[in-house]
Amino acid sequence: MTRHANAESPRGANGDAALVEEFVENWRGLDGDAWIASGGRDAVRRAIGEAVKAMVGDGEPETRRRALAWATADLASLELPGLLAEQGLDYVPWPSGSGGRGTADLPVATDDRDSGADVAGAEAAAPSSAGLQALAASSDLGITTCSWVVAETGTIALYATPATGRLPSLLPTAHLALVRPSQIVKTVADGLRLLADYMAQHGGPPSAVNLISGPSRSADIEGDLAVGVHGPRRAGVIIGDW
Amino acid sequence: MPGELPPAGATWSERRRRALADPAMRAAVAKSTRSLADKKEAAFAAYPAGEAMRKRAVIARRGSLARLDTLLDELTRQIEARGGHVSRAAGPADVGRYVLDVARQRGVGRVVKSKSMATEEIALNEQLEEAGLHVRETDLGEYIIQLAGERPAHILVPASHKTRQQVRTLFDEEATRCAVSPPTGDATAELTAFARRQLREDFLAADMGISGGNFLVAETGTLVLITNEGNGRMTTSLPRVHIAVVGIDKIVATWMDLHDLLQQPALSGTGQRLSTYTTFITGPRREGELDGPEEFHLVLLDNGRHELLGSEFEDVLACIRCGACLNVCPVFRTIGGQAYGSMYSGPIGVVLTPLLGGLDRAPELPKSACALCYACADACPMEIELPRHILALRRTEIERSMEPWTVRLTFELWGRFWANPAGFRFTGRMARLGQRIYMRDGRLQGAPGLVGGWTATRDAPPLARESFHEWWRRRRRASRAGT
Repeated sequence: MTRHANAESPRGANGDAALVEEFVENWRGLDGDAWIASGGRDAVRRAIGEAVKAMVGDGEPETRRRALAWATADLASLELPGLLAEQGLDYVPWPSGSGGRGTADLPVATDDRDSGADVAGAEAAAPSSAGLQALAASSDLGITTCSWVVAETGTIALYATPATGRLPSLLPTAHLALVRPSQIVKTVADGLRLLADYMAQHGGPPSAVNLISGPSRSADIEGDLAVGVHGPRRAGVIIGDW
Repeated sequence: MPGELPPAGATWSERRRRALADPAMRAAVAKSTRSLADKKEAAFAAYPAGEAMRKRAVIARRGSLARLDTLLDELTRQIEARGGHVSRAAGPADVGRYVLDVARQRGVGRVVKSKSMATEEIALNEQLEEAGLHVRETDLGEYIIQLAGERPAHILVPASHKTRQQVRTLFDEEATRCAVSPPTGDATAELTAFARRQLREDFLAADMGISGGNFLVAETGTLVLITNEGNGRMTTSLPRVHIAVVGIDKIVATWMDLHDLLQQPALSGTGQRLSTYTTFITGPRREGELDGPEEFHLVLLDNGRHELLGSEFEDVLACIRCGACLNVCPVFRTIGGQAYGSMYSGPIGVVLTPLLGGLDRAPELPKSACALCYACADACPMEIELPRHILALRRTEIERSMEPWTVRLTFELWGRFWANPAGFRFTGRMARLGQRIYMRDGRLQGAPGLVGGWTATRDAPPLARESFHEWWRRRRRASRAGT
């Protein structure tokens, strides 16, 4: 999908800098974290290290930290397992549904947060779902890429497919998304046009598309802003090419 | 046939009295409505593209309503082709029956809900709870309201009438019931952390998620869900079964229509350019996917909507439930949402409640809960002519002779007198005569009949000694005499 967005990108390289700046300003305005990594793969890896330190550094020291990441070819070249181990995090790949590893060899979630997961266990298909949910819910960080990014609203778009599941951007305490500068478009309509291209190629939209604009928030108590209500408490992006 | 809405509970005068006697609620409502109205204004001022999109969005919305039936058929075909189920519900009982059937077949015990006005409208929670299901509202505001056993007081911020101390008390009680540790304090972060912890368990344990929907895109059978907290994503991603209950009015024809509409609920509702989470859901999880619901059901709710098509009230169906009309309404700002006795409060509630539930359900709303100041007409991003509709509903009510004969006679005579200049001058002279007797301390007091009732709670300034007409005639006579 990232390839797709690259190919359809409506501007030249000159437009990118202004869009990166606009996106970062709006994303930060929504209480999102952003790191700009210009300098290729090494710079992006360094930024991931910084992001991990900033976003999951304040956890309880006695629990084991875990990062759940999409296991796409795009992310493989960043060699996340070693990089995360340096930061004290276990790397868990999102199991690809077809052809990839099955759910059987997933690490078992060990803390108390998976206690509610086996309630749905009566159904034959449910245990793997419940196990995955428990795993994601007890992860400290979810790592994903995205399909396109909107500068003027500070928004990243994620498509749900077998390899790019919904949970890593939803249940972990923090979510980190890797963004290529060429994926940034100006308006929501520009982004939806990229989705229209996807629909034309695939005969319709993915089962779920999530547009995410910063960490989850609410103003339901006396109109006072609270960040991190149900979704991730922190949402970070790294902008760079690798 | 109109639809069916839950009963108002108490009488209008009782509800109004209760609201006016609650200064904490009134202060909270005044604060939150002003803040939201200011944020909306600031958002549009800083984002000119938003206004251009809004104008196009109105056209898109009206255009889709004009061919609603065709679009509903197309939507149904698209969803079924992708393995989803679609059901049409005429009213509350149909929805309840469908949801309970699915729950029974799929062995559902626990349900999580994301905020939905459609399910409030049909009191779905009560129907499910009566059948023994455990239902949890997961929007922070709705969770507070559910714990308090109340109905939402605002379309967008349902618990905006509650103070943080009241919220803490509710959470403390819930902690005792669930035998968990209570919130550590009444700071927003502490209260939110408690709700997050409690509701996370509900999300992971639920078998069924019930959501509403902000829009439906007919051409691909896509449900658009907008939330800020992420509870919408949880509700539609984690449980095995997802049921969306959506009013038929939420449909748009194409994705192009959505380009301009998508940001409008946020811009007019909270002053954001886009809500934190916007989710497009097209059917259940696909082959090979390891997350997302195994089943997707859409229940299309009519409940009196279809009857509005082609009527003078059709544009009401374009409402996007942003709450902008509530935030600018002087009546809403004074009495808050619960006095309306309906899940739809404020100007849109004054119109929608009698239109969906029948005028007998809420004759008092068009009659008494509007000052005809037209602030809502300016605020509505979909350009719904709310004041015109309120006047039309008043007219219907009078035509049906629902007013006492004294009121009808007074207005009839008033109308006759003021229909010609002589009558108008005559009433003026009589009024000036009358006010010599009843004018005390510069205001009208103790006059008999309807006038006395009117001035008992309002100040009527005295009429001038000389009317404008008299002054004008005297001045012309004097100037003619001078030349």
